[in-house]
Amino acid sequence: MKRRVIAIVFFFLGRGFAACARLDSRVKREIGRWAEGTVVTLRVAPSGPQTSWSVRDGVFRHLGAREVEPTLLVTFKNPEGALPVFLGMKGVLQAFAEHRSTLAGDISLGMSVVRCLHIVEGYLFPAIMTRRILPSPAHREKSVVAAYALTLAVSSAPVFVEGGAA
Amino acid sequence: MIPDYYEFRNSTKILSGTGAIENITFELANMKVSRPLVLTNKQLRSLGVADIVIGALEKGLIPAAAVYDDVPVDSSVSTVNEVAKAYAKADCDAIVAVGGGSVLDTAKGASIVITHGATDLMQYMGSEVLVGDRMVPFVAVPTTAGTGSEVTSAAVIKDTERHVKMGFVSYNLLPDVAVLDPRMTVGLPPRITAATGMDALCHAVEAFSCRQANPLSDCYARAAIDLIREYLPAALAKPKVQENRLAMANAALLAGVSFSNSMVGIVHAIGHACGGVAGVPHGEAMAILLPHGMTYNLGVVGDRYGELLLHLAGPQAYCTEHPADRGGAAIQAVRALNTMLHDKTGMPLTLSEAGVTEEHLPIIARTAIDDGAMAFNPRDAGYDDVLTLLRQAF
Repeated sequence: MKRRVIAIVFFFLGRGFAACARLDSRVKREIGRWAEGTVVTLRVAPSGPQTSWSVRDGVFRHLGAREVEPTLLVTFKNPEGALPVFLGMKGVLQAFAEHRSTLAGDISLGMSVVRCLHIVEGYLFPAIMTRRILPSPAHREKSVVAAYALTLAVSSAPVFVEGGAA
Repeated sequence: MIPDYYEFRNSTKILSGTGAIENITFELANMKVSRPLVLTNKQLRSLGVADIVIGALEKGLIPAAAVYDDVPVDSSVSTVNEVAKAYAKADCDAIVAVGGGSVLDTAKGASIVITHGATDLMQYMGSEVLVGDRMVPFVAVPTTAGTGSEVTSAAVIKDTERHVKMGFVSYNLLPDVAVLDPRMTVGLPPRITAATGMDALCHAVEAFSCRQANPLSDCYARAAIDLIREYLPAALAKPKVQENRLAMANAALLAGVSFSNSMVGIVHAIGHACGGVAGVPHGEAMAILLPHGMTYNLGVVGDRYGELLLHLAGPQAYCTEHPADRGGAAIQAVRALNTMLHDKTGMPLTLSEAGVTEEHLPIIARTAIDDGAMAFNPRDAGYDDVLTLLRQAF
């Protein structure tokens, strides 16, 4: 049951990230600095679910739950540790501080991903949650309605990365 | 304060005191080691510091099978690979690392290469990635009293070709034995004594106030600060007194255990960037930035800093200060310590005195927000926040 709930959250989080990459200049800037070929995966051990994003040929994409070779892999040790994070009850950084997750890859890229997730959570989660989980008050450049609309409308549609090849 | 959840490990055996080095061979024999590789640098060889350890191994009938003394100031992938080759070539079965943070980090990197047969260390970057037992018995003999690397699960190694600074955090990197012997630090010059001591203080203060602080790491942090308050001035006043040196080595170790389990924050994140961008020595960056980082965090963890006043300034200062003002007073105590060290050793008090230029500041800020230590700071800090802090410290 917990895995199913997390899989649903991953579905929206993955699309929400892609939506914010179109909407929000801060997320655009962050992914614009990701190296070509970057694949970021959030996974729950031992058997999933997972969600991934990539930058390839200057294009940022949400890859969904498909199997990939990540360059940065954040693994939650179990669904019990992951669920509070993806239900908006615990911050990403707090979970990392509590050893709920491991990180394989470049830690500085991990910091960029965390900043993006904070922005995305600021759009997707209500204020009552973000007050608890975000390190500083959520700041939105665009309306929540626009973010939700784009989250539901776009799935794996490409987002051209600023300064990217395409 | 009890965290919702925490983890803690310090499995390193500690040998501390007079003659500790002569006990290394007993520990090696316990680990069934007969052909250790001694890892150090040329400066420590020329000063005779490394040879104290090499001589003790000979006298203990487990002589070094090889000595690698070419570790540079910044640990690099190429050095790690060379060490791994030297280890294999001499058919070694353990590493005895004698040096500061760079030598100890090189030993940790080499242990990854040797254990996992790694051809590309990049595969093992990150936090809690390394699995399985380490195949290399590892004795760490620190020659400064600051980094605490002899008891930490972290290592930083530069890939000079790809211009990547690789961070590794894993319990598998903890040395088996840490050896604190006052002969290793008794010859340290005053300014290095001061800077490395402030590095240890910074470890303790940040460990006590960061997200992962827990009751166990708190104990180590408090004990470290008590020793630093008493013995850092003493080590500067009477540098040849072994008790002063041993106490500072213990302080650095205690702070190392503390931050290895609760991590560090904004001061280290910015300090790493100051080192990478402007070449500021790590300990000096810590000393300069610590009061500014504490001021930045004061609104969030002021009470925690208030608790530290007891250890930073002593019971009398703690009792006479109003509880609401203790956090601010703790920052003042750090500033007073910095001023004393500046007067006695010439250690800089500002970033500009340490060689940072106005042009460096935006680059340092940009680099600092990507540093992993920032994840554990109790207060969020973005680019603008870091730039403001840097201008205050400039």
